[in-house]
Amino acid sequence: MAKPLSQCIIKLHEEQHNLEDYQGGVPRWCNGCGDNAILAAVQRLCRDENLAPEETVFVSGIGCSSRFPHYMKTYGFHGIHGRAFPIAQGVKMARPDLNVFVNTGDGDCCSIGAAHWIHAIRYNMNLTVILHDNHVYGLTKKQASPTSPIGFKSNTTPRGSILEALNPLTVTLGVQNVSFVAQGVDWIPELLYDIVSRAFHHRGFSFIRIIQRCPEFLPKMFEPWLHDPGKTLLLTHANGLQPSAELARTYKNQREHDPLDIHRAREIASSEDPIPVGILYQNPEVPCYEDLRGAGGPRTVEAIRKGLDAEFDKFTFWPDDGNQSRAA
Amino acid sequence: MDMAARFQDQQVFHMTGRRSGDGLAALDKSPMRPALFAGYRDLTRLRHDFPLVLVESGITDGYAVSLTLLVNHVIETLAPRGIEGERLRKHVLRLERELRAGLAGGAEGDLSELWATAAAKLASDADESVSKVLALAGDSLGVDGALVDCDDRLPSRFMIHAWRHVQAQKASVFHGHLDRLQRRLSDILRAAFVRSEAGQRPDALRASVGGMHADDFDFTAMSRLVSRNAPKDQLPASRRRRIEWALSVLTSQRFHASRSLPGSGEASYGFLFDNVAEAVAAYRERLPQVVELVKAIAIAELEARNDYDEKDHDPFFEAYDANSLTADDLALFPDYLVCIPVGRNDLPENASLMDTLSSGLPVKVVVQVTDLLEEASIGTGHFAFGVRSARLATAAMGLGGMFVLQAASSSLYRLRNRIEHGMGCSGPALFSVFAGAPEAAGELPRYLTAAAAMESRAFPAFVYDAAAGENWATRFSIEHNRNPEIDWAKEPFEYADEQMQRVRGESAFTYADFAMCDKRNAAHFAVVPRDRWTSAMMPAVDWLALPEREATERIPYLLAVDGDDALHRVLVDARMMQATKRCLLLWHRIQEHAGIHDSHAERLLAREKAAWEISRNQELDALRKASAGAPTVVSEAPPPAAGAVAAAVAASAPPPEEKPPSDDPWIETARCPSCNECQLINPELFLYNENKQAYIKDANARTFRQLVEAAETCQVAIIHPGKPRNPDEPGLEELMKRAEAFN
Repeated sequence: MAKPLSQCIIKLHEEQHNLEDYQGGVPRWCNGCGDNAILAAVQRLCRDENLAPEETVFVSGIGCSSRFPHYMKTYGFHGIHGRAFPIAQGVKMARPDLNVFVNTGDGDCCSIGAAHWIHAIRYNMNLTVILHDNHVYGLTKKQASPTSPIGFKSNTTPRGSILEALNPLTVTLGVQNVSFVAQGVDWIPELLYDIVSRAFHHRGFSFIRIIQRCPEFLPKMFEPWLHDPGKTLLLTHANGLQPSAELARTYKNQREHDPLDIHRAREIASSEDPIPVGILYQNPEVPCYEDLRGAGGPRTVEAIRKGLDAEFDKFTFWPDDGNQSRAA
Repeated sequence: MDMAARFQDQQVFHMTGRRSGDGLAALDKSPMRPALFAGYRDLTRLRHDFPLVLVESGITDGYAVSLTLLVNHVIETLAPRGIEGERLRKHVLRLERELRAGLAGGAEGDLSELWATAAAKLASDADESVSKVLALAGDSLGVDGALVDCDDRLPSRFMIHAWRHVQAQKASVFHGHLDRLQRRLSDILRAAFVRSEAGQRPDALRASVGGMHADDFDFTAMSRLVSRNAPKDQLPASRRRRIEWALSVLTSQRFHASRSLPGSGEASYGFLFDNVAEAVAAYRERLPQVVELVKAIAIAELEARNDYDEKDHDPFFEAYDANSLTADDLALFPDYLVCIPVGRNDLPENASLMDTLSSGLPVKVVVQVTDLLEEASIGTGHFAFGVRSARLATAAMGLGGMFVLQAASSSLYRLRNRIEHGMGCSGPALFSVFAGAPEAAGELPRYLTAAAAMESRAFPAFVYDAAAGENWATRFSIEHNRNPEIDWAKEPFEYADEQMQRVRGESAFTYADFAMCDKRNAAHFAVVPRDRWTSAMMPAVDWLALPEREATERIPYLLAVDGDDALHRVLVDARMMQATKRCLLLWHRIQEHAGIHDSHAERLLAREKAAWEISRNQELDALRKASAGAPTVVSEAPPPAAGAVAAAVAASAPPPEEKPPSDDPWIETARCPSCNECQLINPELFLYNENKQAYIKDANARTFRQLVEAAETCQVAIIHPGKPRNPDEPGLEELMKRAEAFN
């Protein structure tokens, strides 16, 4: 529908928000934690897009990263371990008009929540998903997560982890209906913001893996990348990121990559050194589950009654119902 | 008869249109048609894009689909490849032919009915299995709707159908929107009632519990209890009035017919008219209701979000009237469709049509053009080129902001997406369609006449969509014509010569060919028997290209076929050739609009080319001179291209560092990942900017030690402590050593 009178008036009196309006509680993350950078980027996005706080929801699971909704002055749902995706999908099905974000960690998403993660990709609902990947369980004081590097000594792997780390990018790129995959690092805020913004504007399941530092339990892990910009590979494209001239001067290691090229995306995603940063894959043509299911239909009293009756009928028995009778 | 006399007879005919002697036969005595039509004698046996199904029900992408495509689909799904499917394929194709023949014979109806009738007819001559097979095929068609052929009524039927299709989509969106608003407003009222005193009375509570368990409760006690504890905030009277008013306007609107209760309340408005004046009158009459509904929607939208602010909005809505309506507001409502009947597109009607179109009202007008071949009313014997209507579309384009489509009825199906787009655009649209003049009916099927008008450039197809862009290149398109880049459309043409040998070639289709199809123009043509052919005769299309002096010595002819498909040459008189030339001129103008042979561009190009050549020659001369004088110098000098590259590289080289090293401390703010480390050391020294990235607030609120420590803790190493300000600070020597790594 076009933008008629009503829309114009609503726009006219729309509130403008600044960054502090989105700040919830004071973050309890450690100083130097990469989560702070992600929070800043997301708050910037909310301000720049002027997202109405009452129409924005952050859903998380369990972990350091999953404290995110507490620090946003919007709606939030601090869920249960590994179940951020189903909750967010439920929110989206009921209210497709809301801006729904998912904050999840490497343990929450790639370990206990892995099954939900795979299917959430396939459902391709319009969610902005931020995987805070610090390679360790931090909230429970240092246990190996699925993305911990091989040889990592932790409380659960005292002699060093013996398994190869899982790569969340290649996994996501391998699932049917994948529509948006990007990678950022917490220490390049400009690109972090650009990626989050691109992901937000993509209609579909926008998956961003953000590699972040854990100053407490893996303090030295990313030092080589922090000190040598050549170890970061910037993916640039007219349909992807276009770093500022200043940033491009520091990060000279660049490659032009078309986000529609999934084969090249998979190849790039496999690289751990240099760390690729940018939009790996974006396909706006993949249908969204909520569109296929016509979500957001009217919630009239009749519709609710019909739905409830249908549910209750699963547990009732009607003797005169002939061959349609069902018993629980 | 000698050659000279023959030539003279032909010359006289060409100049005056009078046939003298027995060498030239009149066209009305021996009916001819353009040679290119030889293959299209019986259209009912030809699988082409007509007839069409104007889809009413069924799953398909568009609102119209060609019968040929439907039958192809049936065959693909039902008949297996190879010999097993052969029987079914044959029967279905026979039925398709039967349908075509039926339509040509005047049959009318929906596809399913006509299919059943035709199937019954075919099955009566064959065994029972045939009728079963055809019924099965009929069931798997998947769509149904009126089956229409390319006839006089096609333009209006097709356009009305397209318009209905677009309006139905619009209505569905509109109702979705309206239903949502109505529900939200009703919810507000219902909630208010539940909280009100009336809502908490025992009888209201009883009603809300329902019959089954009503006796289990003491509603008087419940009422007492509930009203004591219920919140006391009531819906303000002004808000209630506003909501009730908006709700009543939304429910009683008559623009889009109600989905849920058809026939309830007052009948919805009609939007289909046969003249512009009535449509405009209806628009004017309904304008107050339009304003009211737009206002109600806006108020409902604000109320549903609880955003209505009486201070801001009351004065706005009070001042809101018909002048405030925008095209986007009107786009919510159905568009008016005016189908001007064939006989009515006369001058007065056209004048009011132009007025209406230029006013920007949401009116879609369909004009059926018939007068392409009439002679001018002032009686000079010249062709009028459809002054009344055919040039209407060109004139409408001149008005600017609207959608204009001109096409022959034979190509409506091919242009269906454009038509749908035009019907759906906001603002006015004009569709000018040629379906052949009723006076010329008889000889040729309508499909061929219409196609000939388009192909001969007498009625070229074009689309002008003002909303598509800012300039002619994006707005205007003639891509639907055949060979739009050249003067006359060309078709491959094959015939057998006297020795029965195949001759292959190309034949152009000109305006004169098109005119020959109409019996009213017979006087302009004369058939020349084979033994009277002279070397002065030449194909009309080549004749048109001759300079005027040479043209007087030659006589143009067209290729035509008689009833037995024998090839003849038909001479054309000068008047008809003049009309053909004029047609070409008009076609050139349309081509120029579409950027083909754009005279301005060509002139510019020629000028630039000349300038380029001069400068190139000068450069070459200079090089030649230089190489003759001192060959070694030339080879050492960088070629101009390399110089240009070097300049470009210099231009794109990064500017120097923003912050040259100085004694002051500084931070690369843009790289700050907001990790709070520096703020812990001195929150007055390091502050966050509007993007939550650190900068140095007060360079005096610091010790050099704090700066150095901050630089050391910063994980991304973006803090540069500079030089100490206070020379008396303790431990300065050691600190400066530590600071070196970060400066």
